[in-house]
Amino acid sequence: MSRVVITGYGINSSFGFGADSLQKGLEQNRSGICRVDELLKCNGLQSKIAACAGEYNINVIPRLHRRSMGRVAHLGALAALEAVEHCGATPAMITGPRAGCIMSSTMGSASELYGTFDTIFTEKNMSSVSGMQFFKCASHTVAMNVAQMLGIRGSVLSPSAACASSMQAIGLGFQLIRGGILDMAFCGGAEEVNSMVVGSFESIFAAAPPSRNDDPETASRPFDARRDGLVCGEGAGVIVLESLDSALARNASILGEVVGYNTSASGSHISQSDSSAIRDCINAALHDAGISPREIDYVSAHATGTVQGDASEAEALRQVFGGRVPVSSLKGGLGHTMGASGAIELAACLMMMRDGVIYPTRNLEQPAEDCSGLNHIRQQTLAEINCFIKNCFAFGGINAVLVCRRFNA
Amino acid sequence: MTDSDIRSKIKEVFVKNFELDENIIQDDKLLFDDLGLDSLDIVDLIVGLQRVFKIDLRKYSEIKSIRTFGDVCNVMNKIIKEQPDEMNKIIDGHK
Repeated sequence: MSRVVITGYGINSSFGFGADSLQKGLEQNRSGICRVDELLKCNGLQSKIAACAGEYNINVIPRLHRRSMGRVAHLGALAALEAVEHCGATPAMITGPRAGCIMSSTMGSASELYGTFDTIFTEKNMSSVSGMQFFKCASHTVAMNVAQMLGIRGSVLSPSAACASSMQAIGLGFQLIRGGILDMAFCGGAEEVNSMVVGSFESIFAAAPPSRNDDPETASRPFDARRDGLVCGEGAGVIVLESLDSALARNASILGEVVGYNTSASGSHISQSDSSAIRDCINAALHDAGISPREIDYVSAHATGTVQGDASEAEALRQVFGGRVPVSSLKGGLGHTMGASGAIELAACLMMMRDGVIYPTRNLEQPAEDCSGLNHIRQQTLAEINCFIKNCFAFGGINAVLVCRRFNA
Repeated sequence: MTDSDIRSKIKEVFVKNFELDENIIQDDKLLFDDLGLDSLDIVDLIVGLQRVFKIDLRKYSEIKSIRTFGDVCNVMNKIIKEQPDEMNKIIDGHK
């Protein structure tokens, strides 16, 4: 089996465009959450806040590729372009048969879906719908558009699994490279904020309540005693996975090694997370890596700030790690970037491992009783990280956990 | 609507949908080879023209014969002139 290393990434989020903006935002413990005009205009939607990625110059993507992209694919494509530059792979390698693109999102472009149905319902004429709408609205819109833009000829896959989407994409890429199917894969996900997206969480009382609208920066409170729901975030992350042989052959910079992965489900409830299923997923990922819980130096939690979800994750972490391992969630400032969160937060973990620092859980003032017993990181902390896990959980009872470590030849 | 009005509106569709410089859109320009369009762009060209001229173009077989910008103008002129007077009033009102 091939060893799998990370040789690049590209990131955008409410902190800005480019991986450096993520690092700076985390270092400054910023919040990207604010009131959003589109949400303010939406009747019946109580939550008016989100962490949006802002505007960007999309013209860097040629029209023939850009025309089939909605906002979610734009964000994914921008992250992919950065990842290509960061990893330094040649065009010949990227367009060769052993390079793949595995990217996902919670769904196709929400704004384009809205626009398509608006056209159909108001004009009552299907022939008014642009031929591009399918490519913007399809569930694999990010994967297919990014793959076309990069000229990918190997596997193009899109394991859509809501908020675990990009982690499943990375995990699948890891498995395909480890198994010798691919040499390189651009893996990750993207997400755009739209009233439909926020409304889907609000409808099941998982979104931050309207009382949070007046103080957006403190609204997302993972593990906190006063947490009361998540805040949606926007962005994209692309992680370049590569076989160790390939990376060494081209003298690539190696940012970390992926050593284990598991995705599994609870089989118990479509929206509520299950601590025993999370525990089993973490243990299975550690087993896959051949690493004991004692070797883990940091846990990048999924924790989104929902009452039930954070408590379930905390319970699972207590069972696996006890109270020793430092834990933080980056969603206090970034919001929940859903299908992109796995890739964005994995890149943040790699930066933390590189820089010897753990970024804290923003807005975690008083750990909730049901989230206690963990080594919560509440302020920036110097720490040597040699091995970490990144958790992602999703509607459908779906869990995904990745184990990474510092690369040692 | 005069031929010139029709041509001008068609040109606007090309500029808006395909980000083309207005000056390169000439009658003899081939849609694919000269203007860089492809088959998917033709779908959006038809949708864009339908939106401007309020005509369901898919039922006119001539639309499938367009090769140049001049062809588009000629076909649209012919189709628009085949429309009932009432329809032409709507088209004119859309100016």
